[in-house]
Amino acid sequence: MSAITVQIPTALRPQAGDHEMLEVEGESVRQVLDGLCQQYPDLGKRLFKNENEVNRFINLYLNDEDIRFLDQLETKVKPGDELAIVPAIAGG
Amino acid sequence: MDTPDPQSLDRYHRQMLLPGFGEAGQKRLAESTVLVLGCGALGTVAANMLARAGVGHLVIVDRDFIELTNLQRQILFDEQDVEDSLPKAEAARRKIARINSQVRVTAVIEDINHTNIERLAATGEHGPVDCIVDGLDNFETRFLANEVAVKHGIPYVYGGAVGTVGMCYAILPHTESGDSPWEKAGRATPCLRCIFEQAPPPGMNPTCDTTGVLGPVVSIVANYEVVEALKILLGEYEVVNPTLLSIDTWANTTRQLKVARAYEVGNCICCRGRSFEWLAGQYAGGTTTLCGRDAVQLTGAGENRLNFEHIAARLRSHGEVKLNNFMLRAQITDMNEPFELTLFNDGRAIIKGTKQPARARGIYAKYIGA
Ligand SMILES: [Zn+2]
Repeated sequence: MSAITVQIPTALRPQAGDHEMLEVEGESVRQVLDGLCQQYPDLGKRLFKNENEVNRFINLYLNDEDIRFLDQLETKVKPGDELAIVPAIAGG
Repeated sequence: MDTPDPQSLDRYHRQMLLPGFGEAGQKRLAESTVLVLGCGALGTVAANMLARAGVGHLVIVDRDFIELTNLQRQILFDEQDVEDSLPKAEAARRKIARINSQVRVTAVIEDINHTNIERLAATGEHGPVDCIVDGLDNFETRFLANEVAVKHGIPYVYGGAVGTVGMCYAILPHTESGDSPWEKAGRATPCLRCIFEQAPPPGMNPTCDTTGVLGPVVSIVANYEVVEALKILLGEYEVVNPTLLSIDTWANTTRQLKVARAYEVGNCICCRGRSFEWLAGQYAGGTTTLCGRDAVQLTGAGENRLNFEHIAARLRSHGEVKLNNFMLRAQITDMNEPFELTLFNDGRAIIKGTKQPARARGIYAKYIGA
């Protein structure tokens, strides 16, 4: 298993032990997120609409590429990859 | 000694030295109209820089009045404006007149919604604007701006900021005819809805009024917006940033998120499907003034359920909050006026203390979110 870095956005840090960044193991984006949500169940509730769908106002970028245009949740990850959770910013 | 003439192009000397500007570019800016939607933190910074750069006509729209807590980041306003209780759009017009008398400002004191946004951006007496710059504080209005941009073929620069983070993204929309100058240059970009399919539900996202916002972050984001707007006004489409810029000033990260494929692969209902649901008022948060009760009811946007615990936790710093399984009630003082905000878990809200729908919508956007 390989560990990758997950960037937690400010809005979701309270649900992720106040971490900015977490190292999570997994071979696909789904495995990484499953691992993350097992550790932080409240984060899972904010991220996922249902088991197979991330909320549509949140995007996931693997090395700055939107996973919707890769293999979505099945996108493979390798050590050193960065997964950024990016919610829409409504303020201003 | 010659008296410098504020009406000449001399004042733009340092800008005209830059590639893409020159005297021709400067004249092009002078003939341009930009719609600044919202004149809060992002809007004041953007309007200030656009005016100083010599954009000939600014249409500035905002529904609010200036309050003391705005001054930390809303750079066009000062203590006197707070004392005078000026509307933001009007105060901005007055300030810009002193900064650059070459610039014409149309101040519009209105709540931006599906009934007026097409007039403001395209069909009003000033005609279609050359660019829309985002100074908004909620996603509902941003989706409206996005649809106007796509429908009428007007570039729209999105910006958002909250806490210590921000985002900027320039939309050069795909048009019906496909013959806009940016499409001919092969530089059209996905629309906001290609990237974020849905607005964050009320209460899900932090707002600047509950979470706070760092002044420089707003400035950084708005200035990025202005950079993109100037490129667009000058017709320099090949240098418009095609990525979604995401900045976290506290985690020290800047990302250029690649979004270009979102148009081809995404099958967007707005820019590919040409269906303009927000403009049609389909998701409009309806408001009803509750007769004889000094209160306004706002109907929620629908499917998303509110998380009362999260909202209550944020609102407690503003006043007393009570909650049960069915509703949350908070006492809030906004601009020295007391309000009672009652939220129901279908997203519906009753705001007591005003009869003005726009004021009620403002309170909702500020304390509950987009
Ligand atoms: Zn689109």
